[in-house]
Amino acid sequence: MLLQQLIIGGLLTGAVYGLIGVGFTLVIGVGKIANFAHGAFVALGMYAAVFAKDRWDLNPYITLFAVVPMFALAGWLVAELFEWRGRKAGQIGELLIGLALLLVINGALEVQFGVSPRTIQGIEFGRITIFGRTILGTEILAATVTLVLALGLYAFVRYTRYGRALRAVASNPAAASLYGIRVPIAQRFAVTVSILLAGIAGIVISPFSVMTPDRGSTYLITAFAVIVVGGIGNTLGAVLAGLGIGLVTSLSSGYLSSYWTTLAPLALIMAILLTRRDLGVGS
Amino acid sequence: MSTFRSSWSLPLGLLALLVIGWFWIGAMSAATVSIAVLALYYAAGATSFNLLFGVLGIFSLAQPIFFATGGYSSVYLYNTYDLSPWIGMLVGSLVAAVLAIPIGFAAMRHSGHIITALVTLIIAQAAVPILAAIKPLGGANGLYVALEPEDDFGAMQFVAGQPYARILLVINVVLIGGLLWFKRSRFGYWAAAVHDSEQAASASGVPVQRLKVAIFVVSAAIAAPAGAVYAQYNLFVNANLFLGAGIFQVIVVALIGGAARAWGPLVGAAVAVTLTHELTDLADGRPGIGPLTFACAFLFLALVMPRGISGTWAAVVERRRPITSGGSLERPLMTVDRDVAAQPVAVGEPR
Repeated sequence: MLLQQLIIGGLLTGAVYGLIGVGFTLVIGVGKIANFAHGAFVALGMYAAVFAKDRWDLNPYITLFAVVPMFALAGWLVAELFEWRGRKAGQIGELLIGLALLLVINGALEVQFGVSPRTIQGIEFGRITIFGRTILGTEILAATVTLVLALGLYAFVRYTRYGRALRAVASNPAAASLYGIRVPIAQRFAVTVSILLAGIAGIVISPFSVMTPDRGSTYLITAFAVIVVGGIGNTLGAVLAGLGIGLVTSLSSGYLSSYWTTLAPLALIMAILLTRRDLGVGS
Repeated sequence: MSTFRSSWSLPLGLLALLVIGWFWIGAMSAATVSIAVLALYYAAGATSFNLLFGVLGIFSLAQPIFFATGGYSSVYLYNTYDLSPWIGMLVGSLVAAVLAIPIGFAAMRHSGHIITALVTLIIAQAAVPILAAIKPLGGANGLYVALEPEDDFGAMQFVAGQPYARILLVINVVLIGGLLWFKRSRFGYWAAAVHDSEQAASASGVPVQRLKVAIFVVSAAIAAPAGAVYAQYNLFVNANLFLGAGIFQVIVVALIGGAARAWGPLVGAAVAVTLTHELTDLADGRPGIGPLTFACAFLFLALVMPRGISGTWAAVVERRRPITSGGSLERPLMTVDRDVAAQPVAVGEPR
């Protein structure tokens, strides 16, 4: 009974981890950029939902449609920033931009919304009980949306012409550009899509999450865990790794003492880091 | 490579820095001293970070772990075995060095800045629950320093902030001197070679991987004492003091100051801490203003001067030199040649 409950809980959160990780892995693989602000955009999505709820009493799912173009635009601007800085100051310059954006977003959220935890009340979409665990409609919706988007991105990268171009850029940018692939556009596309997906993930989990401004750093760790387990640039690996990490976290919270809940996934990551020889196409 | 051109001006400059700083701290008000302690603490951390980032180009976010190691070691040894923090902080250095071996290995095993940055970030995050899980170290609450009734030099406890600021000043001066000496040593040239091209350095016989881990270990060891002093200043240690929201602040200070000159961290820390303090005052202590200004200053610098204040300064000086002094090309070349000639073992092209 407990086992089934924990598995359900783990898969529900794991799907969200998968979506957060799939964007991150795309950026590191294609753009060779470690976007430290990736998790912060998840937090930004969450607080966008809070803001719309506070100000206009909007349902987060309506907010979602309004915010998608905004996140796409923000993503493109951030991509331009990375591109511009990366050309002048290299990989370190890009790291700095990501780090600075993470801190700015954290600080801005803290100033605007305060440090006390926030929730969005009153949106449930019904509930069902399986194996004694009550699942909210919003949780199912979030898991479905994230899983569909993550698998959709995988299918795009794997089976379309444009996806093939992205993979070519990931494995060898110089050769890709010789074959007529516009490498900077591909890299900007990867950054934009990853930030867009991060924002969407933030909004769909907002109805049932407890939000604090520093969740950005937490989700950055999650995204990193996903790419370590799934391999850099491997989109299907990221989806599966997200589900796996969700399961490990959930099971360890059920069977181990509370210290181990945070430690178990980290121990898993360390073990992989120390044993795996090659992390994938990234550098 | 360094600001000082002859062999005498370096020790004299450091001595002047020490003396001026010493008396300046004496003249400060209590409120200013608290800013100075924070700035000097960050500056020491930033110098230890610069040993990795400035010299070797390794972007490590693990530095706060080694502050925590220093702080926890000295407080634990003092509370349990009544060992003076002066010795405790050296033991902390040793513990940090031992911890740094596996961490450095894990972080630099896979090549590339991105992997190193992310691995060290995740280890720094992991340190918080790990510290909370260790019962003798007080769990999530941390440890409180056993209080002495009055000022006690041996126990490193003072009512005023000045002594702490002075201890941190001494640590800073020692670290700056050490960093400058290191840059001119054989290992410094090896590190510069690795920074420029790992393959070329490896081909010229530099043991790249061992050198990287060794420098990582040294940078951990020199970070620990500042953490110990900071713990004594606060009279407690917990994971949040070192690894909480401030996990990026040391790195931010180092990057604002820049790695091109040894004084970079001091200037960066002074600018960042003063700015944060002033703006928090202006905003009537509204939460988040401090971190936000810190972050905005950092974003501004990342965009406008990615090499930090001292890097920009170095670039300006470099650009002006041909105009101000006649034989522009010969002078820097000759100093480099003399330095290389002074080395006991030639290691091929140093730059």
